[in-house]
Amino acid sequence: MAGLFGGSALQRTGRAVRSWLPFFAAVPILILIQEEIALNPALGLEYAFQNINHIGIAIILAVSLNLVNGLTGQFSIGHAGFMAVGGYVSAVLLMRGPQDDPYRIFFVLAVLAGAGAAAVAGYLVGKPSLRLRGDYLAIVTLGFGEIIRVIIENTPFFGGAIGLSPIPHRADFAWIWAVAIGTIIVAKRLRDSTHGRAFLSVREDEVAAEAMGIDTTGYKVRAFVISAFFGGVAGAMSGAFEGNLAPQSFTFVRSFEVVAMVVLGGMGSITGSTIAAAVLTLLPEYLRALANLRMVIYSIALIALMLLRPRGLLGTRELWDWWREWRRARVKPAERPRREATEALIDVKGATIRFGGLTAVCEFDLEVRPRELVALIGPNGAGKTTVFNLLTGVYAPSEGTIKVMGRDTRGLAPHDIAHLGCARTFQNIRLFRELTALDNVRVACHHLTRESIAAAVRHGSLSEQEEKWIVERSEELLEVMGLSARRDELAKNLPYGEQRRLEIARALATGPQVLLLDEPAAGTNTREKADLMELIRSIRDRFGVAIVLIEHDMKLVMGVSERILVLDHGVTIAQGLPRQIQSNPKVIEAYLGEKYAKEHAAQIAAAGSQS
Amino acid sequence: MIDLLQHLVHGVSLGAIYALIALGYTMVYGVLQLINFAHGDVFMLGAMMGWYASSRWTQEAAHPTWFGAIAVTLVSMAICGTTGFLIERFGYRPLRGSPKLNSLITAIGFSFLLEYGGQFVFGPNPRAFGALPVSPSDQFRVLGVSISYIDLICVGVSVGLMIVLNRIIFHSRIGTAMRAVSWNPPVAALMGVNIDKVISFTFVLGSVLAAVAGILFASAYRKVEPLMGLMPGLKAFVSAVLGGIGNVQGAMLGGLILGLAEQLVSSYVSSQWKDAIAFAILILILLVKPSGLLGKGTAEKV
Repeated sequence: MAGLFGGSALQRTGRAVRSWLPFFAAVPILILIQEEIALNPALGLEYAFQNINHIGIAIILAVSLNLVNGLTGQFSIGHAGFMAVGGYVSAVLLMRGPQDDPYRIFFVLAVLAGAGAAAVAGYLVGKPSLRLRGDYLAIVTLGFGEIIRVIIENTPFFGGAIGLSPIPHRADFAWIWAVAIGTIIVAKRLRDSTHGRAFLSVREDEVAAEAMGIDTTGYKVRAFVISAFFGGVAGAMSGAFEGNLAPQSFTFVRSFEVVAMVVLGGMGSITGSTIAAAVLTLLPEYLRALANLRMVIYSIALIALMLLRPRGLLGTRELWDWWREWRRARVKPAERPRREATEALIDVKGATIRFGGLTAVCEFDLEVRPRELVALIGPNGAGKTTVFNLLTGVYAPSEGTIKVMGRDTRGLAPHDIAHLGCARTFQNIRLFRELTALDNVRVACHHLTRESIAAAVRHGSLSEQEEKWIVERSEELLEVMGLSARRDELAKNLPYGEQRRLEIARALATGPQVLLLDEPAAGTNTREKADLMELIRSIRDRFGVAIVLIEHDMKLVMGVSERILVLDHGVTIAQGLPRQIQSNPKVIEAYLGEKYAKEHAAQIAAAGSQS
Repeated sequence: MIDLLQHLVHGVSLGAIYALIALGYTMVYGVLQLINFAHGDVFMLGAMMGWYASSRWTQEAAHPTWFGAIAVTLVSMAICGTTGFLIERFGYRPLRGSPKLNSLITAIGFSFLLEYGGQFVFGPNPRAFGALPVSPSDQFRVLGVSISYIDLICVGVSVGLMIVLNRIIFHSRIGTAMRAVSWNPPVAALMGVNIDKVISFTFVLGSVLAAVAGILFASAYRKVEPLMGLMPGLKAFVSAVLGGIGNVQGAMLGGLILGLAEQLVSSYVSSQWKDAIAFAILILILLVKPSGLLGKGTAEKV
C-alpha cells in the first residue's frame, strides 16, 4: 500500500524531478540559443529577439489569464493591473538591490516578491467579487486595473507618470522563455489534474458543481489568484527586460490584448492561448502601416469571432489531445474503505421554509436509515424539490433542523453537504454539458482526492495514483449505468435517458451514503421505466446507499420504494408503506380532488361489504 | 457651508448625467441580464455626433441658439438610437442563446470599435464643444451659491427625461411589455409579447438617453474626445449596481449618490482620487449588499 501514499519522501522528490525533466532539458538549450544566436553580433538578430521575448511575455500573460477566463469561465479584464503590481514591486526591489547579481538569485527573489504581491492583490479583488454570479468580476477587474494605474501615476515612489528607470536588465531570452515554458507546464498540469476538472465544472454549471462537492467560490478564487501570480511574473519579466516601466503600458488596452489572445486561441485551450499570443504580438509589427486601425481591426475580429466561432479557434481542445488518445494507461483500482453509518443518515425535524409569504415546506420531518428506499410524492408544486434543495443546502430552512450524517447543516454550503455523503440529481438535468461523460463523473470524484494544487503541478506520484483510481472508478460507474460506450462523448450529445443515467453515475461518484434522485423517470417510456426500477434497486444493493426518490410515476414509486411520504402544499399529509398510501383518502384527495376521493372511498367501502 | 452647498450643486448636476447613462445599463440588464459595455461609448457617440452636427455639418456652434441646440440634440439622439438598435440587432441578438461570456466579449468588442473607430475618424485629440448658447461661466447666485445655467439645464433635462421614462415604463403598453420580459422572457413571449421588439426598443431608449447625457456632459466640460465615454460609462454602471441593477429608480438614486460622492471627494480630498471613489463604492456594495440599495436578492432556481 506504500504506493498509495507515494512511497518515501526520496522517491517522491525523485519523481517530481523526473516529471520536470523536459523543463530542465530545455534550459541548456535556451542558454545555448541565447549565447550562440541572440548575443552573436554577427547575425544581427537583436530586433527579432526583442520580438521573440515579447512573445514569451505575452505567452505568460495569455496562458495565465486563460486559467480564469477559459478554464473557470469567469471574465477578468484587468490582467494589466496584476502585471503592473508584479512589475513595479519587483522593479523597486531590483533598483534598490545589489548591483551585482551573478547567479540572479536576487532577481528570482524580486520576481517572486512581485508575483506574490500580485497574487495578494488578486485575492483582495477576487474574494468579494467572485462570490457573485455573472459579470461583476469584469467590471471589478476593469476598475482595479484603472485604480492601480491611477495610484502609480500619483505616487512619486513609483516614478509617477514618467515611470521607473533604469531597472537592471536581468531578464533575457533564456529567462523569459524558461518562465514561459514553466507557465505552460504548470497550466497544463493544473488543467489535467482533478483540480482542472473542478475549474471546468465551475465554468459548465455552478449549481451542479456545488452539488458534486466542489467549493465553487473557493475554486474561482484559487484560479484567480494563480492567474494574478503569473500576471505579476510577466510584469516583473517585462520590467527587467525593457529596463523601464511606465504606467501608460498598463492601460485597459493592454488587458484587452490579453483577453483577445485568450478568446482567439480558444477559451480553455492552453496551446490555443500560446499560439494566439505569438500571432497577436507579431501581427502589429507587420501591420505598422495600419497602426491607427489596429484596435479597430482587433475589435471587429473579436466580434466576428464571437458570432462565427464562439469557442475560439481551437475551442477547448489542445494540440496534444490529438496524439494523446492512443496511449492511455490502465491500472488496478485502489478501494477506499466505506464508513458505515448506523444511525439515521438524514434526520430532518420541523424544517420549514418560506419564500416571502409563501410557505413552501412546512414542519417537514424525515429520517432516512442506511440502505432505505424512500419515495417522496405529491402533486406539482407540493414542495418536493424544495425538500431536496433544503437537504443539499441550496436553501437554508427558515425553521427547524436538518442533520446529514448526524451533522447539523446550518451554515454549510452545498459542497460541504456533498462531502458529508449526500449526493443528488436534478429534475432539469444539470450535466456539465461541454465535458465528456467520463469527465462528468471524474469531476464528482474530486472531493475524494487529497492531492493539493501544488502536488498536481509538481506531478508527484500521489497525483498519478489518484488519477488512475479516479479513471477506474469512473469507468466502473459508467459501466454500471450502461454508459461505457459513451465514455468520450460530450454530455450534451447523449440522448435524454442516458443523460439522466449519467447524472446518477455522477452523483454516485461522490461516494454518497444517501442518493437523492429528483424525478429520474421523467420523460422516459414504459420499458425504460421498468429498467430504471431494476437499476435503482441494484444501485442500492451494489453501492449500499440509501435512496430518496422524487417521482410522479406511481407504478415506479409503488414498485420500488419501501416507504412513501406524501407532500401537498408543503405539508406532509401521509406516510407509510406503499399499500397504506394507495388507499389513504387524504392522498387520493390531494391527487384527484375531493369529489373523486369521496366516490373512491364509497367504492372501496362497497367492495369491502361485498367480500 | 457655502462651499459645501456649492459642491452639492455640482454633485447633483454630475449625478443627474450619471443617472441618465445608468438608466441605459439598468434597462438592458433588466431585459437581457447583459452588461452592455458599449453603452458608455454610445454616450461618447452622442457627444461626438453633437459636435459633428454643430461644428462640422453646420455652423451652429459659431452662433449657438436654443433652437439649434435642440435640433443638434435630436440629430444626435437619432444617430445613437440607430446605433443602439444595430448593435443589438447584429451583435447581441444572434448570441442570445449562447453563454453570457460571448455576449460580454462582443459588448467589449463594440465598445472598442466605437472608441477606436471614433479615434480614427475624429482624431484622438479633444475638440471644443459649444452647441448650447450658454457657457459654464454664465452663472447666477442664490444665497451666495453660484449656479451655472448649464448645471441647471443638466438637472432640469435629466429630471424631465426621467419623469417621461417613468411614464413609459410604468404606464404604457410597451413599458408593461418591458417589465414582463425582464421578469421572464419565455412566459412574456407566450403571453403575446414580441420579445425582439421589446429588446430593440429598450436599446433604442437607453441609447437615446445616453445621447442626451453626452450632449449635456460635453456642454458642461466644453469638449469632446473619443475616449470620453470610458470613465463616465464605468461610473454610470457603478451607479446602476449601487441602486440595484435592473431597477430604474435605483439607477437614478445610484447616479445621484455617485455624483455627490465624486464631487465631495475631489473637493475635500484630492481630485486625483475622484475616479477611485467609484470603484471603492462598487467593491463596498458588492461586499455588503450585492443586490444594490433598492434591488431584491434573487436565488437561482434549481
